[in-house]
Amino acid sequence: MPMMLDRRSVLCGGLSALSLAALNAPALAQATRLRMIWWGSQERADRTNKAIAAFKTAKPDITIAGEFAGWSDYWPRLATQVAGRNAPDIIQMDYRYIFEYARRGALAPLDDYLGKGLTIDDFGKPNIESGRIDGKLFGINLGVNSSVVLYDKAAWEKTGVTPPSMGQTWEEFAENTIAFGKKKPKPGYFATADASGLEPSFENYLRQNNKALFSADGQLGYEPADVAAWFKMWQDIRKSGGCVPADVQALDQQNIESNALTTGKAATAFAHSNQFVGYQALNKSKLSLTAYPRVGKSSPSGHYLKPSMLMSVSATSTNPKGAVDFINFLVAKPEGVDLLGVERGVPASTAMRDQLTTKLDDVSKAMVEYIAAITPEVGPLPINPPQGAGELAFVLTRVSQEVAFGRITPEEGGERMVTEAKRTLARK
Amino acid sequence: MALHSEILSKEGRASALRSRGTFRRILERNAAGYIFLLPWLLGFFGLTLGPALASLYLSFTNYDLLQSPDWVGAANYVRILSDDPKFGAAMRVTFTYVVLSVPLKLAFALAVAMAFNRGIKGLTLYRAIFYLPSLLGSSVAIAVLWRQLFASDGLVNMALWQIFGFEGPSWISNPDYALYTLVLLSVWQFGSPMIIFLAGLRQIPTDMYEAAEMDGAGKARQFFKITLPLLTPVIFFNAVIQTIEAFKAFTPAFIISEGTGGPINSTLFYTLYLYQEAFGFFRMGYASALAWILVIIISLFTAFSFLGARYWVHYDE
Repeated sequence: MPMMLDRRSVLCGGLSALSLAALNAPALAQATRLRMIWWGSQERADRTNKAIAAFKTAKPDITIAGEFAGWSDYWPRLATQVAGRNAPDIIQMDYRYIFEYARRGALAPLDDYLGKGLTIDDFGKPNIESGRIDGKLFGINLGVNSSVVLYDKAAWEKTGVTPPSMGQTWEEFAENTIAFGKKKPKPGYFATADASGLEPSFENYLRQNNKALFSADGQLGYEPADVAAWFKMWQDIRKSGGCVPADVQALDQQNIESNALTTGKAATAFAHSNQFVGYQALNKSKLSLTAYPRVGKSSPSGHYLKPSMLMSVSATSTNPKGAVDFINFLVAKPEGVDLLGVERGVPASTAMRDQLTTKLDDVSKAMVEYIAAITPEVGPLPINPPQGAGELAFVLTRVSQEVAFGRITPEEGGERMVTEAKRTLARK
Repeated sequence: MALHSEILSKEGRASALRSRGTFRRILERNAAGYIFLLPWLLGFFGLTLGPALASLYLSFTNYDLLQSPDWVGAANYVRILSDDPKFGAAMRVTFTYVVLSVPLKLAFALAVAMAFNRGIKGLTLYRAIFYLPSLLGSSVAIAVLWRQLFASDGLVNMALWQIFGFEGPSWISNPDYALYTLVLLSVWQFGSPMIIFLAGLRQIPTDMYEAAEMDGAGKARQFFKITLPLLTPVIFFNAVIQTIEAFKAFTPAFIISEGTGGPINSTLFYTLYLYQEAFGFFRMGYASALAWILVIIISLFTAFSFLGARYWVHYDE
């Protein structure tokens, strides 16, 4: 028997659907729904989702729908959503990309909320300033971070060579890696990963030499000779068997999973301090952290405290107040701060940090202690990078590979890096 | 069917008498057809033609994804063709890939198809198994697997060490070899041309081979004088399709180099470069221009293939 559908039943169905929608409408209008996007691992997602749930309990009228992606998928996804005028309300931002988004008008300035919903006075000036671009506050520091040397202490001790330590010079470090290489416990295992193509490492080295990636007027802050010296130092380490060979280093995709330390090819890695939690989770042996080697005993440490990531609000958000409330919950309310832990870096707020530290496990504690230990030695935050700066990290990696694979000399590498960097910055 | 002819006979004639409303008449006559075509039409206009035309417009602008585009004339095209070393690098990589992977893949596919065509037991099963890589090949999982196989301590090097006592480099991350591992990945996905070759081989009448054998032609001679010439339309079809596919290759290089095209741009496929410019560095206008240059290159390649085809492809008259 075929189902009969006449005009009347269709009309009835339509009406009842309409009335259902009408019943639902007020309920929807009451609750604000905000979208949030971040990058990171499952660990981070679990912590973030717990914080979202806790926020919902505290403020039932705001619902937050979270979505996350891996680092490399994150930026295309965010860019397409923003371009499609479908930007999430709350956006996790990286220190490198926030300039690109803020200067293109994609983010909302948050200065008006300071003291009104945003209680971040005890962040200290540098930690607030780190979210300021061209004078306006576009990002709230989610965690304090610095570059770090991670090493497998047991592996170093097994060879009887002095492991990296605070205050060690690059010269000493290089000698140690080579000594390690001569006594290495197994073939294909080296003292350290090759940091010559890592921009944060290069930047640290430049700062030790009182230079910077960029000068105050947005130009390049270094000369071909600076790059050449950096490449040369690593070339010597590489050729003497102190660090992993070029083709092993090229497997590194500049994330925790593919780093030579994690893949069991090296005993030392150059990373960011907040990644310590992630590194330890993936490494069986116990890891230690220390500051970078220095060019001289009395040279600056090269370190600075940077936001591991920032929270921003989309310029097109329909409820920026609600978005700010949630961000404040994550950085200035013990409930939110405890749920996030130090997985995104050490909380910038002194009060939050103090109350959190007592509750941490040993790994997280070691990281907090590291930040405390280098804080007296850090220099000022570098100036805002000029537009197009993001591309230079890739250029450095490529040129460093050309040197490492023996295609060009370190001197030629220095020239090439500076030429290409200038070309990229000149492009609008 | 009956309904359709009725529409044709009654409605068609009636409306033909009316002089106006030609478009409407066609629409009415073919309404059912268009309704069935609707999903495809929506997809074609909304998801293919629309965006393609938009990208043509954007290729003449400085669109950066976040701000509204400004017209810059042919500046993007001028820069690509006169002042972009990465464009040259990407072209070199892509052409090497196309020139190596397409003939190798076709030769391999033909060889397997000929082996199958000799009538082995369980052909359907084997055919399915050998087709499998084509289904999986462009997936992320296989690219990751490839990375593991050809890394410094991957399975390939383990085998080389066990069999030949030879310590291989990290193939996937060495600029001298990385591209060739991707060529290999492409050859491994020989399934779809193989199926088409197999169908083509089945079409060749067996009496030709019998006659050739009676005249004393050996297997090799039979292959070059009968199989190949009669198979040329199929070879041509496969070559064109595979060439276009190869120009468009993206996923393997993207996964294997984590989107960088490294080491030292050795796997910087054209599409990967385009993607980097668009989504990595926010140069959507520039990337659109790159895309249109790729369209022109593929079109030229296909056009020349068809022009050249008349000299070597034999169709049954």
